[in-house]
Amino acid sequence: MADRLSPPVFPSYGVGIGWRPEIGGFVEGLPGLRFAEVVAESVHAHGELPPGLQILLDRGVTVVPHGVRLSLGGAEPVDPDRVEHFAAVAERLHAPLVSEHIAFVRAGGVEAGHLLPLPRTREAVDAVVANVRRVQGSLSVPIALEPIAALFDWPDEELTEAQFISEILEKSGALLLLDIANVYANARNRGTDPLDLLDNLPLDRVAYVHVAGGAEHQGLYHDTHTDEVPQPVLDLVTELCNRHRPPALMLERDGDYPPAATLAAELDAIAKASGYPAVT
Amino acid sequence: MTTPSESGPADRGPVDPAVAPGLAARQAALVDALTAGSPMPEGIDPFKFEAARVALLRKRAGEVARQWPMLAAAFGDRWKHEFATWAATRPTQGSLRDGWDMARSLAARNALPAAAAVELAEREAAWHYNGTEPPRSRRTPALHSTAGATTLQLAGRVWVLRRP
Repeated sequence: MADRLSPPVFPSYGVGIGWRPEIGGFVEGLPGLRFAEVVAESVHAHGELPPGLQILLDRGVTVVPHGVRLSLGGAEPVDPDRVEHFAAVAERLHAPLVSEHIAFVRAGGVEAGHLLPLPRTREAVDAVVANVRRVQGSLSVPIALEPIAALFDWPDEELTEAQFISEILEKSGALLLLDIANVYANARNRGTDPLDLLDNLPLDRVAYVHVAGGAEHQGLYHDTHTDEVPQPVLDLVTELCNRHRPPALMLERDGDYPPAATLAAELDAIAKASGYPAVT
Repeated sequence: MTTPSESGPADRGPVDPAVAPGLAARQAALVDALTAGSPMPEGIDPFKFEAARVALLRKRAGEVARQWPMLAAAFGDRWKHEFATWAATRPTQGSLRDGWDMARSLAARNALPAAAAVELAEREAAWHYNGTEPPRSRRTPALHSTAGATTLQLAGRVWVLRRP
């Protein structure tokens, strides 16, 4: 898989959403939905699926497992038990791909409780690539990697963000899960131009896109997933799709769930910004 | 909780020689600084690092509130602050155990709000939790009293015998 020359071609799924039990009823009721994502660690590898998720699968909705605890960017080799679970969930959902983060979540046996940024060094590239290869060895489908929103950066970085991401993708053969809200958050907090990053990423490797909301506290933009999607993020969706429209774009909401009408309006806004049909 | 003296190289797990030791040591120092109150790694913007540390504690507070709704509700608007204060030097053991450990430490100093007592007593009766390993279902009947609440568990069912 690491030697793959060109990215696999996925059908156009259009606008999707992150499935969470709290909004399962809403997601189930979306007539045009063809794409959803579920947190891999929340799914039993062999037991019954949550009812709402099973209904989506029965309807032919593509459901992609999204890992959050593998710690692919850890200097330590990825835990084989976690990899086995991740791969089993992918099989369980008949997923055409899986995704995880370019980040680490634990070190020295201590859990951080969140996705932490890697120093953009060649050493870190090698650590991620080694772990991605370990995971790919257990998977029968491609993996897409998501660059995270980082509130702080490490000192002494050797690579730009675009170089760092591109090298990891090139060396591992992985696809890109581009979180456009993370692109926005990082650019805003670093004082850089988000379009500059878009212009320097291999957009033909984007498997799908995350869209989420956030909020500013004390001058820093936090990628909260509990606030509404701001207009500049939707504008970036349009900029991205003008360059290379990805097969799917999905809303990520992880708490403080708004009324169904508000969620539907956010999905419609993503559809409008991307040019895909509404799924509501 | 991990202190620097407890987390020497022997505890750091297998390290890939191709990437050791620089990245492993840097990552471990960062996690310790974020979760255990050890000094921030040099060269990182202190304001941004502190924002990340606080955001992490608030995220953990939200996760614990989902596992321990009565505990969180008992503190009302002060919940995130109370939890963040308690958790500032305690790396997460998962939200179930974090809330459990906090509730126990509050109960031990008679500071567990009455509204949260039944929630803790129910879980103490239903599960065996030694504070260091994941909780396990009790296989035998159990009677438990904590912070003025008394619960009885028989064959997996829990009755509240007394409320504070």
